[in-house]
Amino acid sequence: MYNMYAIKSSCLLQIVQSFSRATFKFCILVQPIFYSLMMYMIYQGYSHEHIISYVIIGSGLLSLWSSVCFSSAGDIQRERDMGTLELIMTSPVDFKVILFGKIIGNTLLGLIPLLISFIFITLFFKISFDVAHLELLILSLLLTVISFIPISLLIACCLTLSRQVRALMNCIEYPIYILCGIVFPIELLPVWTRVFSYILAPTWGAKLIRSSVFGIDSMQMFWMNVLSIVLVSAFYTIISLLLLKKIDKLTRINATLGVH
Amino acid sequence: MEVINIEGLKRSYNTKTGVLNSKTKTTEALKGVSFNIKKGEIFGLLGPNGAGKTTIIKILATLLAPTSGTAKILGFDTYGQEKKVRPNINFIFGGERNLYWRLSARDNLLYFADLYKIDKETREKRIDYLLDLVGLTGRADEKVETYSKGMKQKLQIARGLINNPEILLLDEPTIGLDPVSSRELRNIVRTLAGKGHTILLTTHYMYEAEELCDRIAFIKNGEIVALNTVSELKKQLNQNSIIEVKVSDFSDDDISKLKSMKGVVEVSSYLKDDINNIKIVCETPLEIIKLMLEKFADKKIINLQIREFSLEDIYINLIGDGHV
Repeated sequence: MYNMYAIKSSCLLQIVQSFSRATFKFCILVQPIFYSLMMYMIYQGYSHEHIISYVIIGSGLLSLWSSVCFSSAGDIQRERDMGTLELIMTSPVDFKVILFGKIIGNTLLGLIPLLISFIFITLFFKISFDVAHLELLILSLLLTVISFIPISLLIACCLTLSRQVRALMNCIEYPIYILCGIVFPIELLPVWTRVFSYILAPTWGAKLIRSSVFGIDSMQMFWMNVLSIVLVSAFYTIISLLLLKKIDKLTRINATLGVH
Repeated sequence: MEVINIEGLKRSYNTKTGVLNSKTKTTEALKGVSFNIKKGEIFGLLGPNGAGKTTIIKILATLLAPTSGTAKILGFDTYGQEKKVRPNINFIFGGERNLYWRLSARDNLLYFADLYKIDKETREKRIDYLLDLVGLTGRADEKVETYSKGMKQKLQIARGLINNPEILLLDEPTIGLDPVSSRELRNIVRTLAGKGHTILLTTHYMYEAEELCDRIAFIKNGEIVALNTVSELKKQLNQNSIIEVKVSDFSDDDISKLKSMKGVVEVSSYLKDDINNIKIVCETPLEIIKLMLEKFADKKIINLQIREFSLEDIYINLIGDGHV
């Protein structure tokens, strides 16, 4: 019961804290428009399917990842700078519960740029967005958004241990765009890189969303993709939970919770 | 009844220097500290910067692991049994940090109430009480970033009391506060101790420690160099008194004459606005004054007072160069 209160209040705190920062407002309100424009310029003249795939869905996922990535990573450092990381780590509520609430807050905020990208492209460029399987699109979107939670948890765990958060934060943004087939098909990448693509949940999310929009040739393949995203997310969750167990001890041994 | 037990506590920090040919340097912040604190006691920890005060507070606050030795709160180890320790303690670091500046004071307290698992009914009453205690009721719904430094520190006190902790750890809580706010904060600390809370306090302000603390430990280079009540520390250190004299036209020869007087232990002086400020440590102050008035009858004595050793004198004697 108390954990539920803590999740709710951590989620709300995260939303208020993030939204009061000008940079974050830019990230979730303006950046999606730039991403959409950039992707539209790249794919202008390509097929309708390409435009939906990489302009509407691609820029939406791009914006979602960007805001989730920046907030999850940056917030740990901000908490450290504010001296509140020490407080939340030592409160009676488990740190993973607090972190979970914060990540839910970030992910909910991350849905705003997804929506802005979609509205901007469909209205501004008058591109029709026909969906073959609406109910499966909703399921795919839900799974994709949820899959960002364990990734964020994993990133936040690693960043709690390290003080070099900002550098890492900038390093992890672009590989996801490239490796997960968000801005172009992963088939264009060398075969050996696809191993990394398949262990990243957004790859499966992007596949699921696209197949729900354009039509599903094989339902078996669709459910296999669903299973893949669930398994990859479960793997991240298990690793994160194991890491969190270690974090409480390691941060106290290495004295990395505070800046003074 | 003892609520805090520290036994042979050691803590080292490793720092790396260089990139290619990196070297690890180990600094011993605590070198085997031991002391106990009784329930309801205000215990002061005094020492210079880097002496190990904050390290002790952080270990007790379950923020740091000791390298060796034990720190126990209410019988539970702060490293290993932290889940049993955390609900019973809270800590306040001086300065303006440790708060969410973009939230109001009330929202900060509501958030921490949730993290300390305080039920809805209790938290409403407690938050109102704490805001009133620290004098922030009128501005409770304004963002913390609009507060003065003093207000932020007061809010920190309220945050530190949100779980009504049995043990409160205060690390330089009045640093940078104006005299009125400092006094208000000292009154709050005294009120809390009166209600049975145990308080461990670190401070650089000797008058604050002297006014508040039941017992004081002096720490230097990670080791406790003295521990007792203020009055016992004064007795232990010295039975002497200090005469402070302000006199004009006092030469080095006169100082030498003073030093040679029977019963004078130590003499120090400095010149300010053409007036010699002389400090005489002696065993029998009245006799020395009598002798002085005879020997220096031609000098213009502006002010003269006898006082006992202050905590600051003890601090300087123990931590500094051994003189007062």
